[in-house]
Amino acid sequence: MKTKFLWFLCVFCFTILPLSAQEKFTLSGTISEEKSNETLIGVNIIFPEISAGTTTNEYGFYSMTLPQGTYNIVISYLGYSAISETFTLSEDISRNFKLTDALESLDEIIITENIENLNIRKPQMSINKLTSATIKDIPVVLGESDIIKAITLLPGVTNAGEGASGFNVRGGAADQNLILLDEAIIYNSSHLFGFFSVFNPDAIKDLKLYKGGIPARYGGRVSSVLDIYQKEGNSKEFHMNGGIGIISSRLLAEGPLKKDKGSFLLGGRSSYAHLFLPLFDLNNIAYFYDLNTKLSYKLDERNNIYLSGYFGRDVFRIEDTFENTYGNSVLNFRWNHLFSDKLFSNLSLIYSDYYYDLKLNFVEFDWVSGIQNFNLKYDFKHYLNDKIKLQYGLNSIYYNFNPGEINPTVESSGINPFKLIDKYAIENAIYLDAEHKVSDKLALSYGLRLSSFHRLGQDELNIYENNQAVTFNQDFQIYEKAVPIGTESFKRSDVIESFYNLEPRASLAYQLNSDSSVKLSYNRMSQYLHLLSNTNSPTPLDIWTPSGKYVKPQLLDQYAVGYFKDFNNNKYSLEVESFYKTVKNRIDYIDGADLIANNAIEQVILNGKSKAYGLEVLLKKNEGRFKGWFAYTLSKSEQKTPGRTALEAGINNSEWYRTPFDKTHDISFTGSYDWNEKWKINTNFLFQTGQPATFPNGQYEYNGLNIPNYGSRNADRLSAYHRLDISLNYTPKPNKTKGWRSHWVFGIYNLYNRRNAASISFGQNEMTGSNEATRLAIFGVVPSISYNFKL
Amino acid sequence: MKKNFKTIFILLTLISCEDVIDIDVNNAEPRLVIDASIHWLKGTNGNTQLIQLSLTAPYFDDAIPPATGANVFILDSSNNTFNFIEEGNTGIYKNENFIPVIGEIYNLNILYKSETYIATETMTPVVPIESIEQKNDGGFSGDEIEIKAYYTDPENIENYYLFEFLILDTNSSTLEVYDDEFTDGNQIFAFYSDEDLESGDQMLIRNSGISERTYEFLNILLQQTDEDSGDPFETQTTTVRGNCINQTNPDNFPLGYFRVSETDVFTYVVE
Repeated sequence: MKTKFLWFLCVFCFTILPLSAQEKFTLSGTISEEKSNETLIGVNIIFPEISAGTTTNEYGFYSMTLPQGTYNIVISYLGYSAISETFTLSEDISRNFKLTDALESLDEIIITENIENLNIRKPQMSINKLTSATIKDIPVVLGESDIIKAITLLPGVTNAGEGASGFNVRGGAADQNLILLDEAIIYNSSHLFGFFSVFNPDAIKDLKLYKGGIPARYGGRVSSVLDIYQKEGNSKEFHMNGGIGIISSRLLAEGPLKKDKGSFLLGGRSSYAHLFLPLFDLNNIAYFYDLNTKLSYKLDERNNIYLSGYFGRDVFRIEDTFENTYGNSVLNFRWNHLFSDKLFSNLSLIYSDYYYDLKLNFVEFDWVSGIQNFNLKYDFKHYLNDKIKLQYGLNSIYYNFNPGEINPTVESSGINPFKLIDKYAIENAIYLDAEHKVSDKLALSYGLRLSSFHRLGQDELNIYENNQAVTFNQDFQIYEKAVPIGTESFKRSDVIESFYNLEPRASLAYQLNSDSSVKLSYNRMSQYLHLLSNTNSPTPLDIWTPSGKYVKPQLLDQYAVGYFKDFNNNKYSLEVESFYKTVKNRIDYIDGADLIANNAIEQVILNGKSKAYGLEVLLKKNEGRFKGWFAYTLSKSEQKTPGRTALEAGINNSEWYRTPFDKTHDISFTGSYDWNEKWKINTNFLFQTGQPATFPNGQYEYNGLNIPNYGSRNADRLSAYHRLDISLNYTPKPNKTKGWRSHWVFGIYNLYNRRNAASISFGQNEMTGSNEATRLAIFGVVPSISYNFKL
Repeated sequence: MKKNFKTIFILLTLISCEDVIDIDVNNAEPRLVIDASIHWLKGTNGNTQLIQLSLTAPYFDDAIPPATGANVFILDSSNNTFNFIEEGNTGIYKNENFIPVIGEIYNLNILYKSETYIATETMTPVVPIESIEQKNDGGFSGDEIEIKAYYTDPENIENYYLFEFLILDTNSSTLEVYDDEFTDGNQIFAFYSDEDLESGDQMLIRNSGISERTYEFLNILLQQTDEDSGDPFETQTTTVRGNCINQTNPDNFPLGYFRVSETDVFTYVVE
């Protein structure tokens, strides 16, 4: 009897229990493009019956853990034909998918209405994603596709005017944007003073801009993250891509190193307008060039390695008097390793260098400055189950700042060699992020980043009485540099100052119905590097300075709330977001601050704070012959630098003043229309409130000079900025799919020739001696032609 | 030194354009402007000195009103009083018995509209201008006449210089300030170039010794008057506060500066 019972129990244990325990298995793999093996980022993998789904990560990898069973899977990605399959999950499956171009495939799979829009469901908000194809359609000045100009058409993103490099996100300064190219930090994002960006659009695969709700895996800058990934290169066959324009040309070559296993990508751009200058009797040179290189190799199913490099330079020369060379170089090694079907990892080792050299031969002077860094990142993406995905990792950066070195250019020069003290620092972070699908209606994303910054030893750090590097002169009511009472020198391995910050990040998405949702987010970010710039927009000479004894890290808190809706099965989408952000320790300069060749920056800066708030509306049409978007941002961005005590005046009398990039209204419209197979029309329209400026409120004479007397900082504005651009794309042989394919782009920038003020300066007319205001407008109407080809 | 970079970014002017436009600006209440520059020209007795007082005016007005009826005097450390008497109603106040001494501390006192304004400065010595070098294909565009005024900076002392390049025929004056941060103890030059400079023009080149505070003041002031924007070293526009204060009513501060310098003059005819 007993044995029979025991035997029954055993059978029960081995059969019934396993069945009711609902074992789970993992489906994982990589999704890439059929004709090139290029991995695809952000592909939707949907299981319609159970309302679950996931997306591929930055390396094309996906992983989904589900209970045993039979499922219908749909893979969809904009621009590609969808795949629909049924499969049975009774063990862990590794399944790669290859997607074909929607234009090229023969049978299109129709997507039924059951497909949920994953964007509505995900708790990520304040993100804009742009594809390389969209960027290339946007008309720009001189016909050169430009990523940075394209993102300024999005809501919440603006720049400080034409000829200004950098961009501003939600009222934040240009140095508060983390720009990553294949995981490496880029310090200067433009060539030729902002006329061109450093990114070659042909080499770019994917681009995401995070304006808020920034996940814990990113840190180091407070306002935004621009995360750009380059293509790996076609590992099946050799292709070329290029374009010839009026000002510059580009060429990209990609192909296999070993078929289906390894590939290379080599792209270059160069401008050559300077070659025509001698025709005008000008012996000046202004050009840029850049080179993108990437080698990718698939060691086996679980390991991939990549080696990428970027090298860019800008060169200016005016006669023999003035020579200026600057640019970024980046070398980056990455290793993807799959520890298991659920655990993906990426290790990055990065070296980057920003170099700046200015030779002024007529005063016999050569200035060199720069920043070098070594960066190690180890990121893990852990696909726990169908409800939770974790991301965790660590990041460590070692910095070497060369604030400047001055040397004479000739032996007889009156200049003495002078080296500003090198500064060193280490920035570390560890983070943990979770994306958690709590229920059908509620999805959460929460994380924590612990970051630290250690300012390392250097020579000759100044010591001041009471640690005050800036003093206030009560009589003259101005701030002055304090005289140091001594200096300290440290060993390189000493730590002068350390900072630790906990940065919580959280966002939430609540599904109102199948096509609309409400999202909330909060993030706390810290920034340890500051870009010292006395001008309204960055110039290449701006100096990156680390936090330390006298300069505190910037700390930001951002709150955002948004409403998202899709219409007509994602044909149209509407995003409305409102944000509020505050930044502590935003530095500003005392009047007359001397930033260049200043060994003691702490003597000319004061700590203040800034805040920005606004409303963004984005209405997009995603499909059809006409595509595009309309963006409107209403915002305010201001700063306050109060005196340190009640007796001090502070800057602008300790009152709030507008930041230089505060634009109340920012309207952008961009659209492209497929007229027919051969012709496509693109257009942009922008309208922005004029940039803040400081105008005089009087004049006086001193020492034979006429001096304008200025009012409150940034209390006035330049006139409103608006312009209309159009461009036409002409493809002579649209049906050609192999061999030499070309298309022309004819464009007109600033169609109605609006003279938009880049700046207004006040001075005396040389002839009449009367005062006048002179407006500098950079671009009037500029036509352009470019010839683009693909092989 | 750094101010020479201001016209560098000519790239912008290759494709951009500049227009004079009509614009409305605010008008603040008038303030007193003190132009008190005491120069002791080398080789003279320095007895005659002028101080000019005026008021601020609305920006687009053509006339600058003088500040008349003020009581102006300077005291030195031996309590000598130098009274400045106004010439008519011009706002120009003159003294003819000034005693300049290198290193002497001078106190300026102005009583205007029942308010007292004061300032203090020390007479700063200067090295002479040694020679002038002219190059006819210099300047930024390579076809301007450029002038270099050579002087030798005293070693191991912090020195600051104000150079004035005056073209007598056109009555135009250009000011440049220099420090010796990178040139201490060396022979160095002050640099001037202008496309309108022609052979035969008569120039007065003056080098005045100034204090560090004066250098900082003039540095900011000169950038405010600079028409060319785009200078990467440019500072924020601001009301430039000098070294004079209103003792009676501190909020009603004056503009301008009280400076006391030894000055060397070099007369030069452009070749």
